[in-house]
Amino acid sequence: MNWVTIIWSMVASACLVLAGIHFLVWCQRRRGWDDLLLSLASAAVAALAGCELWMMRAETTAQFATALRWLHVPTWVIILSLVGFVRLHLRAGRPWLAWTVCALRTLSVLLNFVVGQNLNYLEVARLQHIRFLGESVAIAKGTANPWMLVGQLSLVLWLVFVADAAITVWRRGDRRQSLALGGSIVLFVLVGAGQAVLVLWQIVDWPITASIFFLGIVVAMTYQMTGDVLRAAQMSEDLRKKDHWLDLAADSAGVGLWLWDLKTNVISGTETARMLYGFSANELVPVEKVRARLHPDDFDWVSRALEKCSREGADFRYDYRIVLPDGSIRWFRVLARTLLLSTGEPEMVAGVSIDITDRKRAEQEIAQQRDQLAHVTRVSAMGQLASSLAHELNQPLGAILRNAEAAELFLQDPSPDLDELRAIFADIRKDDQRAGEVIDRMRALMKYREGAERSRLDLHLLALDTVTLVRPDAERRRVRLEVETGPAVPPVHGDQVQLQQVLLNLLLNAMDALDDNPSARRFVTVRARPAGAMVEVTVRDTGHGIPVDKLPHLFEPFFSSKPNGLGMGLAISRDIIRAHGGRMWAENNPDGGATLHFTVPASSEGGRGERVEGRGRKEQ
Amino acid sequence: MSQRSLEEFGGSTPLVRIVDDDASFLTAVARMLRASGFAVKTFSSAAEFLALPERDVPGCVLVDLQMPGLSGLDLQEALAKEGHTLPVIFLTGHGDIPTTVHAMRQGAEDFLTKRAPKENLLDAVKRAIDRDTRERAGRARLDALRARFAALTPREREVLQHVVQGKLNKQIAYALGINERTVKLHRTSLTTKLGVYSTAELTKLWMEAGEGRG
Repeated sequence: MNWVTIIWSMVASACLVLAGIHFLVWCQRRRGWDDLLLSLASAAVAALAGCELWMMRAETTAQFATALRWLHVPTWVIILSLVGFVRLHLRAGRPWLAWTVCALRTLSVLLNFVVGQNLNYLEVARLQHIRFLGESVAIAKGTANPWMLVGQLSLVLWLVFVADAAITVWRRGDRRQSLALGGSIVLFVLVGAGQAVLVLWQIVDWPITASIFFLGIVVAMTYQMTGDVLRAAQMSEDLRKKDHWLDLAADSAGVGLWLWDLKTNVISGTETARMLYGFSANELVPVEKVRARLHPDDFDWVSRALEKCSREGADFRYDYRIVLPDGSIRWFRVLARTLLLSTGEPEMVAGVSIDITDRKRAEQEIAQQRDQLAHVTRVSAMGQLASSLAHELNQPLGAILRNAEAAELFLQDPSPDLDELRAIFADIRKDDQRAGEVIDRMRALMKYREGAERSRLDLHLLALDTVTLVRPDAERRRVRLEVETGPAVPPVHGDQVQLQQVLLNLLLNAMDALDDNPSARRFVTVRARPAGAMVEVTVRDTGHGIPVDKLPHLFEPFFSSKPNGLGMGLAISRDIIRAHGGRMWAENNPDGGATLHFTVPASSEGGRGERVEGRGRKEQ
Repeated sequence: MSQRSLEEFGGSTPLVRIVDDDASFLTAVARMLRASGFAVKTFSSAAEFLALPERDVPGCVLVDLQMPGLSGLDLQEALAKEGHTLPVIFLTGHGDIPTTVHAMRQGAEDFLTKRAPKENLLDAVKRAIDRDTRERAGRARLDALRARFAALTPREREVLQHVVQGKLNKQIAYALGINERTVKLHRTSLTTKLGVYSTAELTKLWMEAGEGRG
């Protein structure tokens, strides 16, 4: 039986098959280089086996020397590709060691072709035939090449490199991989290369059988890779199931899922997503097509936000409107996030779109109803107030009138009773005083919760809260409402409800001032910032501003620039701020619109344990 | 007694009563009305007024609609229950329609706000006083008439019943079963007592006094 031929042929063909498989896998996956490296290593092991067989069957010393010389080429390939594999697949090993191994190995291949007959022999003197596996095989005797040490040093370093990498992987917790790859390489290289070294230094008479051991390495690595492939297949199966569920869930919730490939700028999406945006099933959807469906009022800011999302990877989380081809307008809530390549470059944007038109409509209706209700309440409260005010005022005013009439009648007398007249004027004065007191009492009444309990408040948080309250109203009126974030503001000591009422008042006034603006120029900005010992809050609008002649009267009671205003809002607001020890004033902005300012003293109590309230009351 | 003497009965100076809990307004309106030539008496509550009504003095009452305790409407009701016909003028800080309607239904003379023009107030007061005076005069005349009829003897009354029916003395005598002469005597006596000189006048007075109904 010709065992040597059979075994070495089998090793070679097995390696070739593995090389082919790994090459195919690499071609299909194109994910990294480890499959290609493994394919190269396998092919090289096959070549190694061929060279070994050639050596064993050598007829002449020259043949043997040539075979040995060529043997170093596949060896070089094996070592380099395995170094690469360890670096790439295990992501371990010291780079300097890797480079040193590669450099030394390359040097030895060069020496192999330059010095002597090959790296191992300066000269092969004679061939000796020995029995090996029942067959006569050739081994060489001759002068050993001292440069062989370079190659062997590279092998030692290689071992160190692999062992080091395996230890790193072990420590990382991946023991299976550490043992399978690191362990097998170390074991087989130690045995295979050790045997070769002994043979080549002509210490033992034995043919070179390194390919057998390298086959072991390749098989171990293949096993490892196959496990990966199998796991990936299982994962993709699981993923497919989950994908199915996800689609089902998304469809049943009316949620459209989409992906925007940033390279091609084409958007792909689920059936529901296409339906939501009004695209047919097979239509190619470049991003421009979607952009063209944006509502004109939303176009600019949505485009900007999308740009920011795709470039900088900022999350996109907004509600916007879409105009469908049939002209209907739909509200979408969209959450999109950028997926990055391993290089950190944005690869695609994955998004979820939900049709919230009905919800928006309901919200707007509720807001409208609430407004109406608020208006009715305000009107009826005003009616009651006006009625009671009229009654209370008519008493003293009636008395004044009658007294004045009486005085006129007395004065018709040629010699009027001066004492009586004096009494009349005193009474008129007294009744005027009384009328004034009635008005004061009314105002005190409207300033509800006088002297209510105060707590420590963060005006920035309070502004955020108040803005949340009027946000639906602002959306309905197309007003962009923003709270600027600046340096942290110190807490103030105040009545949360009253200060919130002031803010609410200012916000509603600001939005009222924007009614005549085109919707692109409706901005209200709220800002709280520290100002010395005070905290200053500003509410700035881009509206029509305050006529200069009206500025001084702005805070007077019953002064109103609005056709249906009561003219008490700002007067009461200023009273509240004054009661808090602050100041309130208004000014026109140089670039249009008005800004209302108020200050409240920062709380001097530095008690850290005290709770800072800012978001107490919430709607719902 | 002449016709004139009947008109003058109860003709004392009209008095304007003012009822208001608001002392200041009370003083002012009283002052103005006095200066306009009216006799005025003020009351700070409805109860005070009702306790001291001076029923015999003609005039009217100006009353604040909204007062603590008895309101203007309560006062009006109390007067009506007593059968008192003093005209009531309501004054109010500001009137609402239901109250006004209610007050007018109860026979309010007028309904004015406290700051109504002086002319309106004076007109209303004058109108009320006129009405009261007129009504009092009529009532006084009637009372006098009734007193005169009451002075007749039963027989004279019987004779009168027949006279106003236009019966002749002879028929009356026959009906009452008395002498015709006696009838004549009774007729003379009752015309003297009633101060009338013709049968026609007698019939008119009889109708006015409402004797036929009683």
